[in-house]
This record gives sequence, C-alpha cells and structure tokens, in this order.
Amino acid sequence: MFNYTSLFKDESKLDINYIPPRLPHRETELNLLNQFFRFTVETPGKMTQRILVVGKVGSGKTALTQLFGQNITREAQKRSINLHYVHVNCRECKGSLFMIIQRVVLKFHPNYPKRGYSAQELLQTLMQVLDDQKAHLILTLDELDALIQNEGSDALYTLTRVQEDRQTPTQRLSIIGIVRDTNLLNTLDASTKSTLQRNIVKLQEYTQPQLHDILKDRAANAFRDNTVPPQSIDLIAELAVLENGDARYAIELTWRAGKYADAQNAHELLPEHIRKAAGSIYPTIRKDTISLLNLHQKLLLLGIARRFKQSDSAYLSMGEAENAYAVVCEEYGQEKRGHTQLWKYVHELSTLDIIKAESSGTGQRGKTTLISLPKISATELETELRKTLGA
Amino acid sequence: MKPPSMSIETVFSSKGRVKILKILVEIGELNISEIARRAKLNYTTTNQHLQVLETSGIVRHKNFGRIRIFRFNIDDPRAKNIKGLIEEWSSRSG
Repeated sequence: MFNYTSLFKDESKLDINYIPPRLPHRETELNLLNQFFRFTVETPGKMTQRILVVGKVGSGKTALTQLFGQNITREAQKRSINLHYVHVNCRECKGSLFMIIQRVVLKFHPNYPKRGYSAQELLQTLMQVLDDQKAHLILTLDELDALIQNEGSDALYTLTRVQEDRQTPTQRLSIIGIVRDTNLLNTLDASTKSTLQRNIVKLQEYTQPQLHDILKDRAANAFRDNTVPPQSIDLIAELAVLENGDARYAIELTWRAGKYADAQNAHELLPEHIRKAAGSIYPTIRKDTISLLNLHQKLLLLGIARRFKQSDSAYLSMGEAENAYAVVCEEYGQEKRGHTQLWKYVHELSTLDIIKAESSGTGQRGKTTLISLPKISATELETELRKTLGA
Repeated sequence: MKPPSMSIETVFSSKGRVKILKILVEIGELNISEIARRAKLNYTTTNQHLQVLETSGIVRHKNFGRIRIFRFNIDDPRAKNIKGLIEEWSSRSG
C-alpha cells in the first residue's frame, strides 16, 4: 500500500456530469421551468410545451435542465404519472436527428435494431412507444446548434410538429432546446422560429459573488473540512469571471487545483495551486472535445494549427489545409486521406465548434471552403494536439 | 382470442426454437435479424420458428413501422413457467 492522503473528500462532486441538489442563483429560472411544465403533472396529455434555454458557456444550462428533469419526474412519480425526462446532447450525436431519436428510443427498448429505417420512421416509432406505454416525454436537446447546423430547420420542424399529424388527441412530447446564442434561430424557417421563440428562459452570466457562492457550495462537498481557504475561492471566482462567468471552467479549475495540491502533499488548496491549474486549462476547447476526434481529424487539425501559426491571415483555404495536413501525415507516418473525407472532417470539426468553416462564395476564382480558428490560439491548439498524439 | 392448441412436443422438438427461447429470456425483446444472428440461424428459419412460437401463444410480437420486436407473452402462464425453467436451467449449467 502506498501512503496517500488527499484534500478531496469526494471529487465526483466536481465532475462535469454531477448535478447538485441545488443550484445557487438559478432558483428563479428553475421556478420558471417548473411553471412552464406544470401541466405535465397537473393535466398530462392535454398539451405540450416547447421551451428554449439560452445562455453562454458555463451559465448552468445543462445543470439547470437536468435538475429540473429530476425534480419533475420525481413529482410525476408521486402522482403515478408515467413521465420521462431524456437529455440528449446533439453535438455528441453529431447533429443527426436519427441518432438523437435513436438514443431516446433505446431508453425505452434497449435492444431496438440500430439500422434499417429513416429518422422519420424512428420518430413515428417513438410516438408509438409513448402511446403504448401511456408515457409522456420531455426531451431536452442540449447544444441544439449542432442539430440546426447539420440538418437545417427541417429536423426541428419535424420534431416540434410531430404532435399535429397524430390521430390521437393525447399530447406526449415536449421539447426543451438549449442554445448558446439566439442568433442561430435566424437561420430557421419562420414557422419553426415562431414556435420556439415563444418561451425563452435566459440565463445571464454569473457574476463574481455568484460564482463565489457556487464554488463555496461545491468545495464544501468535494473537499475535506478546512482545506479550502476563502481567498482561494475568491481567486477562482475572479479567474472565472474573466472567462465570462463560466462556472464549468471554475469547477474544472477547482478540481485541477486540488490535484496539484495533492501532488505536492499540501494540506490546503493555495492560490499557487490554482495559478498552476489555470495555466493548464484551455477555456474554450477542452480535452474531452479533442479526445472525441479520430486520428486523422487530429492530424488535420494539427496541420491547420501549424499553418495558422506561420501565417498572419485569418483564413485558410481548403487546399492550403490539405497541404498542411499532408505534411503532418508524412511526419507521423500515416497515409493521407482523400479530399472528400477531409472535407467531411472539416465539417465535423466545424460542428464541434473547434474551427469555423464557411464557403468562400463568389468573388474568388472558383469556390472553396474557408477555414478559420476563432476560438483558440493556434499555438495552444498545437501543443494540446501534440500531447494527445504523443509527440 | 382462440386458445392455442399446439402440443408441447411440437414446440420443444426443435433445437432452434429452444435456442430462440433462451435468447428471449436472456435479452427480453429483440427483432428477427438480431435473434437470427445470436442463434446462428438464418433469417427464414428464425422467422418460421418464431411463427410456431407465436402460434403456440408463448411468444408475441409488436410492430414498429417495418420492424417487428418479439418477446415472451407474459400474459400466458405457460410462457412464465418456460421462462422460469430456462432461467433455472441456465443458472445451473450456464
């Protein structure tokens, strides 16, 4: 046995997927959601609801809806109503309506065949399952942007209007959409837009005192008593405010700082540990996003990052990106992929919000995809990729 | 519904049918292709076996569009007992 002491009492309380039993400074929004969905426990089946939750990164959108989901299903259970809450991240489903609905159907029938039908058929299946089980469903589409970018407004239109084509009067499917920015809605057709825009729950950025409260709450549950001095919490809150009040960043920072403190066998979480941790987090692109990528997507991204490092221009053409990628492939001893595959990768990376890809449009000779890196510095991206690629 | 009149020896006379029953006990509910894959039978044979089992009343299916999902007919007491027998058998002999 090795001798190991830790500041942590329960580090899972700082996990990204942990849903705390209470969300400080989001009480009003939670209440608002409860009010919007009161009918599901009072008069289930009489109506459905479509809500949009809007807020920046780390403003508590996911935690808020999941906590709401837990609460409302508990309440429904008490009243013997068969209500399900399903939370699907559209980005994880690559923005595909099919994969999104499939995830939901698999919750009800875990062995439902994975292939052989269209998204529309699957949606009908879902409605049939709900009818069979006399169930009601609140479906939350997290990172709805990915679905809209990938499938345009048709997918969303189908989802929001599926009730209207049905013969049975019982209404079963309500939708909560989560987006960072309402501008995205402008790309939708007028009717879908109007359906969604009616009910919006807007989450403001957290302020420094609010972040302080949140961190105090989490730290008390995650760390042993008297190991996190108030000035450390202050510092984390201050750093997170600089990141537009990103609570997720703050929590990840706290966890990392705890790890650094543990590594030094420290008895307290000190500002020095926090500064060290802050240096190691890239606020806009996190490790989990990079780890989602396959080898050639990483190589392509590395090529793009290096080319941006060398040049001052804001955009790369698809051809330039391909050349840069070819060099990287040679370096790593990999056979390069063809143009069409790379073009797909560029679009996937763009859906994941790592790069931005847009068509050059007219004005140039021919048409190409223009790639830019709006969110992260090329140097940071390169370092991070080299780490994961093991070179 | 007309009471099923198939004899027990007809139902259990086939190794394939018993395999299918075992799979349905283990997994709960499945579509034909997946049952066929797990039982190492071809689609047509599996379909025929399932039809026999369905006529006997032990198994029933549900349509979801083009997809048929099969499961034990839990409303039939014989199905419950067969399920129990297979579970008991598997727990001893694997």
